[in-house]
Amino acid sequence: MKIPNVLCKKNRILLKELTKTDFKLRYQGSVLGYLWALLRPLMMFAILYIVFSKLLRWGNDIDHYPVYLLIGTTMWSFFTECTQQGIHAIVQRGDLIRKICFPKYIVVVSATFTAVINMLINLGVILIFALINGVTPSWSWLLVPFALLELYALSLGIAFLLGAINVKYRDVTSIWEVTIQALFYTVPIIYPLTMVPDIAAKILLLNPIAQAIQDVRHSLIASDTVTTIWSKVDNPFLIVIPFLIVITVLVFAAIYFRRKSKFFAEEI
Amino acid sequence: MAKRPIGTRVERFTDGDVAISIHNLHKSFRLPTEKAFGLKQAIFNRLRGIKGFREQKVLKGIDLEIKKGEFVGIVGRNGSGKSTLLKTLAGIYYPEKGEIIVDGNLVPFIELGVGFNPELTGRENVYLNGALLGFSNDEMDKMYDEIWDFAELKDFQDQKLKNYSSGMQVRLAFSIAIRAKGDILLLDEVLAVGDAAFQQKCNDYFESLHGNQTVILVTHSMENVRKFCDRAILIEDGQVKLDGKPDKVADAYTNLWKKK
Repeated sequence: MKIPNVLCKKNRILLKELTKTDFKLRYQGSVLGYLWALLRPLMMFAILYIVFSKLLRWGNDIDHYPVYLLIGTTMWSFFTECTQQGIHAIVQRGDLIRKICFPKYIVVVSATFTAVINMLINLGVILIFALINGVTPSWSWLLVPFALLELYALSLGIAFLLGAINVKYRDVTSIWEVTIQALFYTVPIIYPLTMVPDIAAKILLLNPIAQAIQDVRHSLIASDTVTTIWSKVDNPFLIVIPFLIVITVLVFAAIYFRRKSKFFAEEI
Repeated sequence: MAKRPIGTRVERFTDGDVAISIHNLHKSFRLPTEKAFGLKQAIFNRLRGIKGFREQKVLKGIDLEIKKGEFVGIVGRNGSGKSTLLKTLAGIYYPEKGEIIVDGNLVPFIELGVGFNPELTGRENVYLNGALLGFSNDEMDKMYDEIWDFAELKDFQDQKLKNYSSGMQVRLAFSIAIRAKGDILLLDEVLAVGDAAFQQKCNDYFESLHGNQTVILVTHSMENVRKFCDRAILIEDGQVKLDGKPDKVADAYTNLWKKK
């Protein structure tokens, strides 16, 4: 079997233009425009900060809790944005798929790129915010991209899988919305892991989203008050579970998408 | 669900004199019966043993050979399978059975202005549409002025596309489309655009293609078939009914009408 040239010139151009278009259209007609990419997670952060840190007084035992919270909310928005944009991508770009012949994965990838760009901008904000909050820069910051990449791989896998199913069964969109709501509470974004029983914390950390978020927090804040899978779970067989989940989802999604994409043009 | 059979579509680049050869091409669609969209209905159908779709045969064994440099017109009534044939050639649909061999770089125009977005400006749309046709930004920069000159819309470059009249949109789309350089052009009903003056420009463009490029044109205009084509093919009910001189095929097509 011929291996498709994933990044040949033509595909790269297409990916770039579609991403640009998505990004432009996203904030079309809004006064603040691109600023919203920054403002949304910051506002979500402000609300959560006031409610949980000031009113409920959670997270007092965690160093730099505001930074901790901001990392959690940004990474979570990244995950939801990536998957939700990705799911709609194929159907939304139906006019292209029905009329020109090009690799369909470009549509999904370009849809998630808007989220990636937002994430990168927000990462800058997090770093500035961390410095203001008195976090000292350390070599462990270099580990951040790996956890982010892991989260992106998972999001992309989910986007491919659900995006392909969505062509035939539009129910997926609604199901995923509810699933995301439920998932939100299983990931330690608003609450510190020390608040839940030990065994529950261990199980929650097997979720790759939680594991990635905690890893980024730990690397950035460089504090042992952040519980990670590495400090909490000692069984090496359990530690690989989150990574196995990511790889399985990605591989399965790629195979499924490849098979189904042949018929997108006639099924949309 | 049973796995759907798939035919072959090969692209290659050789010095041979055949641009496209099609052997025994079949294509059918699965049309959902009643409301097969949605998960509930899908589960329901499966439980009751209903397939949830109806097989619609569109192409029923097409054999064709198109030589390099030929200007071929494809005619036929609505629903005869012309567009499906074109889309299968273009690789948008997968052949169900049979074989397609494409020799050379194939550029399809199933519709003008694919990807045009009303919320973007004319300039942005030109670059987007260009990317969809495979042009890089540099290449687009070079032919940018030509495109607007040909479309006669220079003053509207930075207006949003939604403020263009439909005729203006088609003119812009057409003038981007003709920049595409390929060995084989597939055109689906894109001839009649714009007013009389613009039509003349389009005709000149098609004249210039004649003899220099392989063109496959789907059209309902017998006038264009007679004017531009070297050869015409009449498709009826998913099969090649007649293949020969444009005049002969155009007459047969017109007679098809009169009989009914």
